[in-house]
Amino acid sequence: MLLEIDHHSGIPIYRQIKDQVREQIMAGRLKEGDQLVSVRELATQLKVTPVTISKAYSAMEAEGLLERRRGIGLFIAEIHSDKKEETKESIIGALLSKAVTTAIQFGVSQNKLEKMLKDTFLKYRKERGRESNE
Amino acid sequence: MSDHKPIVEIKRLTKYFSGKAALNAVDLKVLPGRIIGLLGPNGSGKSTLIRHMIGLYLPDNGICTTFGCDAEKLSQRELPRIGYVHQEGELLDWMTAEQLIRYVSAYHPGWNRELEDRYVNDFDIDLNAKVGALSPGQRQKLSILLAIGHVPDFLILDEPASALDPMARAQFLNLLIKIIQQKQKTILISSHILSDVEKVIDHVIIMKNGHIIEDQGFDDLRDQYLRIRLTSLGTSLPEEMPFERVLSCERNNGQAVLTLENPQIETIKNQAESIDCRIDFHPLPLEDIYKIVMSS
Repeated sequence: MLLEIDHHSGIPIYRQIKDQVREQIMAGRLKEGDQLVSVRELATQLKVTPVTISKAYSAMEAEGLLERRRGIGLFIAEIHSDKKEETKESIIGALLSKAVTTAIQFGVSQNKLEKMLKDTFLKYRKERGRESNE
Repeated sequence: MSDHKPIVEIKRLTKYFSGKAALNAVDLKVLPGRIIGLLGPNGSGKSTLIRHMIGLYLPDNGICTTFGCDAEKLSQRELPRIGYVHQEGELLDWMTAEQLIRYVSAYHPGWNRELEDRYVNDFDIDLNAKVGALSPGQRQKLSILLAIGHVPDFLILDEPASALDPMARAQFLNLLIKIIQQKQKTILISSHILSDVEKVIDHVIIMKNGHIIEDQGFDDLRDQYLRIRLTSLGTSLPEEMPFERVLSCERNNGQAVLTLENPQIETIKNQAESIDCRIDFHPLPLEDIYKIVMSS
């Protein structure tokens, strides 16, 4: 689990950890049933205090991203596919909002933006060696 | 985190100096396993509070116990569990650094030679130099070593890194984190360099005029404030903004920057949409949070 903490962003550390773990789950890099490293281990890795990691883990557990198996540890929980789709849409939606509002401010038309989106898709598909679309 | 018994427990602690209350009915619990930032302007009572914890001052009123023992009764049993670096940094100037280290370590059966060697090496301490001839930064590094060499359960640092250069400060703060991670230690660190402590602390105490005005988890404190930038997507921003608990608001030319207290993110997003605005979130650095707390 590769996480990165920005101490000066002002975003609470536990939330930085939660957001990154959530993204890794959505991207499939973390899978249901994967065990998380211990609080102490992650604290050492990220150079933060164990209290902070505990808080992050509790927050993710409360949100249903993690499940605790008594006496063993914390694991990535099973997330219902509807809920997963919803989460993906909300993460991407936030990024799209930024692109769209910037376009509006710059006076770039919807048509032009849609074309840019298509072109960007094409560019990445080409770079990945024409992987199938669907 | 199995043992949650407070390291320090302070109840209604009051201390007067020349008839003026330096501490005014202060309540505080210091819980184990944390790195606590003690913040506040000069004369707010930080050092006075710290000195009560180690029995250098006795309360005029109220109670202060450390490791369950009254400040005035602290003895051989509790004191070796405490490490203390203070602002003045009084050292025995006529000794060499090596002599002073050996002299201090002789008092501590639990002195960690391995930690000492690593520290001397990492922080480039000249063992043969006379203590009196050390630069302020070197002197401070030595004081810190003398306070942590016996690996105390409770380490108190009163403005510890002020004379260190940025590299040494970063190194020093990483060392603190390591100490906490290895064992169930507790560190109380008072500092003016907020961007430094921001990296290591997980709990914040803010003092003002002899009172504690903030005492909570650092992440919780960060969650309490948010700065947003609004940009109108239409022609201009409305005169009346729909947001609540606004601490400050600056606006010009279809843009506005607001600082909000106890923000509800979803509500704020909807409100921004309702006035046809783009919204960008800018969490506040500790320095800005500190200013808000101090001025309220």
